[in-house]
Amino acid sequence: MSIEALNISKKFGHFTALQNVNLEIPTGELVALLGPSGSGKTTLLRIIAGLEFADSGNVRFDGKDIGDRTARERRVGFVFQHYALFRHMTVFENIAFGLKVRPRQTRPSAVKMRSKVQELLKLIQLDKLANRYPSQLSGGQRQRVALARALAVEPSVLLLDEPFGALDAKVRQELRRWLRQLHDEIHITSVFVTHDQEEALELANRVVVMNEGQIEQIGSPDEVYNHPATPFVYNFLGNVNLFHGRIDEGKTYIHERETGHVVYVRPHLLDIERLPNGGDHFRARIKHINSAGPLVKVEAITEWGALVHVEMSQDRFRNLHLLKDEAVFVIPKDVKVFEARETQAKVV
Amino acid sequence: MRWTLIVVAVLFLGLFLFMPLAVVFISAFAKGIKVYFEAFREPDALAAIRLTLLTAAIAVPMNLVFGIAAAWAIAKFEFVGKSFLITLVDLPFSVSPVVSGLIYVLIFGLQGLLGPWLRAHDIKIIFAVPGIVLVTIFVTFPFVARELIPLIQAQGNDEEEAALTLGASGWQTFFRVTLPNVKWGLLYGVIICNARAMGEFGAVSVVSGHIRGLTNTMPLHIEILYNEYQFVPAFAIASLLALLALLTLVVKSLVEWQSKRQFADEEKNWSLEVA
Repeated sequence: MSIEALNISKKFGHFTALQNVNLEIPTGELVALLGPSGSGKTTLLRIIAGLEFADSGNVRFDGKDIGDRTARERRVGFVFQHYALFRHMTVFENIAFGLKVRPRQTRPSAVKMRSKVQELLKLIQLDKLANRYPSQLSGGQRQRVALARALAVEPSVLLLDEPFGALDAKVRQELRRWLRQLHDEIHITSVFVTHDQEEALELANRVVVMNEGQIEQIGSPDEVYNHPATPFVYNFLGNVNLFHGRIDEGKTYIHERETGHVVYVRPHLLDIERLPNGGDHFRARIKHINSAGPLVKVEAITEWGALVHVEMSQDRFRNLHLLKDEAVFVIPKDVKVFEARETQAKVV
Repeated sequence: MRWTLIVVAVLFLGLFLFMPLAVVFISAFAKGIKVYFEAFREPDALAAIRLTLLTAAIAVPMNLVFGIAAAWAIAKFEFVGKSFLITLVDLPFSVSPVVSGLIYVLIFGLQGLLGPWLRAHDIKIIFAVPGIVLVTIFVTFPFVARELIPLIQAQGNDEEEAALTLGASGWQTFFRVTLPNVKWGLLYGVIICNARAMGEFGAVSVVSGHIRGLTNTMPLHIEILYNEYQFVPAFAIASLLALLALLTLVVKSLVEWQSKRQFADEEKNWSLEVA
């Protein structure tokens, strides 16, 4: 089922949570709503679910306006950040809940219900823990039960609110992969909220970057990462060095003092050399080196006194033999320039 | 130092709590078991026990329903006048029971606000059973609500919202999700509410009129017997109330132990997750 949000606005008291948001999600996609806290992403998700109602604007499922339908009538599967499992019910009862509360005419028989729950238990690989209570499960197991419970009612869309937010890094990785696989199998239109850019880029077909109640950019992970539309997106989707700069006859110059433009460079798009290679460069002195991890992170002070972050591969680092306090040349491989006006309003 | 404190506490409790309790039973059995049980054969005593049970049987379920409704409204919704409602729930705690009784006399009594209307329709409330039930409801109102408000607030809305998205109706959500989560607290509130409903003296005394066999509850009957120097029957009935109090204590600690265990379970797992 496709989802459309048209001109959605929502205020909580004086706080504007969403402002004229337009979003279209085609059937079967896995979409990430990505943004910092307070950007309105969870509010948008809850409005789609019917747990919150917009002050103005429409929500459509398959082109049909469902603005006046309650959460109960929308048939969405919703997964909460803190699982929201029914703590007094076993895993089995939790998953069966959505089937049990159906009106008699549409309620499946006890046998059918059992086999359906068993099937879902197998899907989440917890069939041995059917009689456990939520308090006896780990965080990752709980979130899988929550997902199975949401899927039991055969929802037309799956909405996940920071589904992995409360889990530790390792479990998060695992569940992410698992959710990706699950989506490949059942192709249900899914929207998940996250503030973790890595999660959004890895998991989603499309990423919706939100900030201050508005959508900054919608695109594939590749598009938003490599072709950010706004300074905010550039800044939010990865580490970045900011310089004052100016564009003169199509060429970018980095300046010491404030100018009309800001130059954005990702740390891995800077290179370090011992000698000027004849191209663009500036001087810097190495201040700190962190070589633990897949990339070596180098901190240096530029000739005009600003801090610059550079990332390079372990190989490159070994070839260079960089040392602390050494004077080097920094070479930008790719930069992006935004007008300072834009950036001041958007970058925090 | 520690032992001094403990000794002082035990002495204090013994003097002010245990000794009076012992006196009740000693005096009740002072003239033997036969005389003790005779006290319960007296028709006025039986009537008092019946009335007490009837009062509790009406007041407790009503306060259960009102208490849940009030706690739900206060814990789940934001509305104008919410803090006023909370104050109102607490009112019976802060008003002297005698004053609560008087309020009802002033409203429902023959000379009271609704007196003429009630007389015209031949309805008797003061110096009759309805008055006793009404003041008991008033006095015991806060117990269930007070117990539930912090509990429901602590639960949050997540589970209810989950139930809603899974297709449950409001009532299904309430009976299958909300209520089971607060059942121990609810039971605790009901037990205390019941103990107070059966033991209330001041407010009931004001509206009762002390008509033997008709409007005397157990506490009132005990007072009458005592004033007539019938010590054994007075203490015999009193021992019944004391037994009820002891039973309440036992059930109460059981409930507390249960809910604490449940809470500890959640705590434990929560800390596991953090680690």
